[in-house]
Amino acid sequence: MGISMQDRVKTSGPRRGRWTGALGVICAICGLLLLGVHSTTRELLSAGKYAGSDPTTAVRLVSAEPFAEMEGEACLWEPASASAALSSSLMQGAAASPVALRRTLDFSARKPIRTIRDPYSAFSAVAIDHKNNEVILADENLFQIAVYDRLANTPANAKMTEPKRLIAGDKTHIEFQCGVYVDPKTGDIYAVNNDTVDDMVIFSREAKGNVPPDRSLHTPHGTFGIAVHEEREELFLTVQHDNAIVVYRKYAVEEEAPIRLIQGDRTLLADPHGIAIDTTSKLIYVTNYGATKSFEQVRPARGSAAQPTWPLQDAAPGTGRFYPPSINVYRLEDSGDVAPVRVITGPKTKINWATGLAIDKDRNELLVANDMGDEILVFNLDASGDAAPVRMMKGPKTLLKNPTGLYLDEVNNEFWVTNFGNRTATVYKRGADGDTAPLRLIRSGPIDSVPMLGNPHPVAYDTKREQILVPN
Amino acid sequence: MHSIEYDAIHDELLVPVPFGGAILTFRGGASGEEPPLRVIQGSQTRLEAPDRLGIDPVNNEIFVPEGRKVLVFPRETNGNVAPVRALEGPQTKLGGGFTAGVGVIGIDSIRNLLVAGSGIGQGDNGRLQLLIFDRKASGDTKPLRNINGPKTMLTNLGGPFTLYPPKGKIIVPIRGAVTVNKTMAVDSFVGVYDINDDGDVAPEMILGGPRGVFQMIRGVAVNAKHKELIISDKRLNAVLTFHVPELF
Repeated sequence: MGISMQDRVKTSGPRRGRWTGALGVICAICGLLLLGVHSTTRELLSAGKYAGSDPTTAVRLVSAEPFAEMEGEACLWEPASASAALSSSLMQGAAASPVALRRTLDFSARKPIRTIRDPYSAFSAVAIDHKNNEVILADENLFQIAVYDRLANTPANAKMTEPKRLIAGDKTHIEFQCGVYVDPKTGDIYAVNNDTVDDMVIFSREAKGNVPPDRSLHTPHGTFGIAVHEEREELFLTVQHDNAIVVYRKYAVEEEAPIRLIQGDRTLLADPHGIAIDTTSKLIYVTNYGATKSFEQVRPARGSAAQPTWPLQDAAPGTGRFYPPSINVYRLEDSGDVAPVRVITGPKTKINWATGLAIDKDRNELLVANDMGDEILVFNLDASGDAAPVRMMKGPKTLLKNPTGLYLDEVNNEFWVTNFGNRTATVYKRGADGDTAPLRLIRSGPIDSVPMLGNPHPVAYDTKREQILVPN
Repeated sequence: MHSIEYDAIHDELLVPVPFGGAILTFRGGASGEEPPLRVIQGSQTRLEAPDRLGIDPVNNEIFVPEGRKVLVFPRETNGNVAPVRALEGPQTKLGGGFTAGVGVIGIDSIRNLLVAGSGIGQGDNGRLQLLIFDRKASGDTKPLRNINGPKTMLTNLGGPFTLYPPKGKIIVPIRGAVTVNKTMAVDSFVGVYDINDDGDVAPEMILGGPRGVFQMIRGVAVNAKHKELIISDKRLNAVLTFHVPELF
């Protein structure tokens, strides 16, 4: 262990106070004890010089500065046995086993001096409960499902709108829920987890607070989008990690395996996200970010993952590739390694990490939440290739910012967008175009306070710019 | 994304892309939708789903753990290029698996050492071992040392560890078991080991837990200038900075 006293204790300059100096010496001694048995005798003597305790040197302590204030303890006091162990190891010289005598420095109770955290909800997905006139929003930042009145509208001067009820807490198994679906018959809420918990959780309409899900389904890791065919009672999920679509019985639970799987090189699935189904034309629409690879024919040996309808997960070496972002279209009953019936992709499409999708059959339109473009793109339902959108919503009045979730409310002639980048869910008139302001919005916090820190995993420190780098 | 490395000598950022089987290098000050300077990807690379990486900016090499092996590329590799060497084979003790798997690497350019975090077992029943190799180790080579055992407190890896070569320290985010309803790992903490450690040794230091502030620890980075450790927690959805002068 190094000694930090060199940075704190000066050997010249005006006297700054007896007690401050004494504190520096005490902390220096404490620091020496905390050095542990890895410290050499030379390091100890050197440290002693800085602490002014070595009479053989001309260097003496004349001033000291206190440590920076912090919430936790900077310098833990060790019991007397610690110094005994230290001196014992030093006296034994080379015969001592420093590692065997090691005393772990226990800073388990130390608190951080700074924390970066977003205190407000970040809405990722949206669905409407028409029976109860409620809007259901998935919140990936605070790990909750928030239920609001459908007509709630946050006033400009209000900090936020309080939800009618929340489903949140460790019992719910809710964390990074990125897709929601509401059963039109029962009001059951289906919520899909994209990362940490490989379960889709289902709550009854009455669920509130920290309650376990009414049922759950073990899914492949990294599911994102959800769509349900009510007549066929089939549930479709995209699987980001495995470049796959899995189809379950709508009421599947626990370890029940998918009934169909779409996966393979011919599918052109590449980091799939949003999904929508056209029950009339019997088609599936899927947004793709573009990164992909091939998979080897290796299956886990247990549970539903052992079934042939579970996605392959082991990447084949050297098969990674990047495709342009796209929207791929498949037949509703497709299964296996099937080519899409068509693909919407190319520079004219403006598709750039598109996520949520909604199908407007009455208008023959496909609505697309174009995350990186801060816009909603609208295509003809039969668009193919490098097709330009027939219209798009974009601009400062729209309040669109990193839109991820989309829901078309055919009953009320509206569509909803969740904006991951500004903590809002915004509502527009069906058919809205250009830079159009929302009819209403639900805001979970100040619109301009944007840490946008979510799902942090690795961190790095840029020493040149003195910045913390956090992929989200 | 489960790894990011800053190369202070060349002012570059490196990230692995598991979905696309690629390693990307960006300018250090990259911002917005900026393309990478270099991409390692393709049939010659042996890359599968690279989840983590390590950079040796002194000797100009990139280390990529992949399953039961470590692939090494020259830092300036661009395109579909084979690794210059691979560390792999039963004697390496490099394990597989995801949660407790091989997936973390650190390079000590001062001592010319490579540290690989490798799993034994799987999931919450698994534990972690720190395998220390010569930096240039290749093929089926035994580790020089292996930090492993109950005293080490090395259970499950939380995320990418980091090294602090000036002091020869290995700084490891350890999450323990997920004990609360599949979501929380309240036994999370940071453990600090000496790079000369071997066998079943206690950590030199533990920070922030177990039963401390963390709920699901992930990555850790060093800010030596301010004597700080910067640590992410996925359950808190937060980045926490600790003042740890004792380490520096």
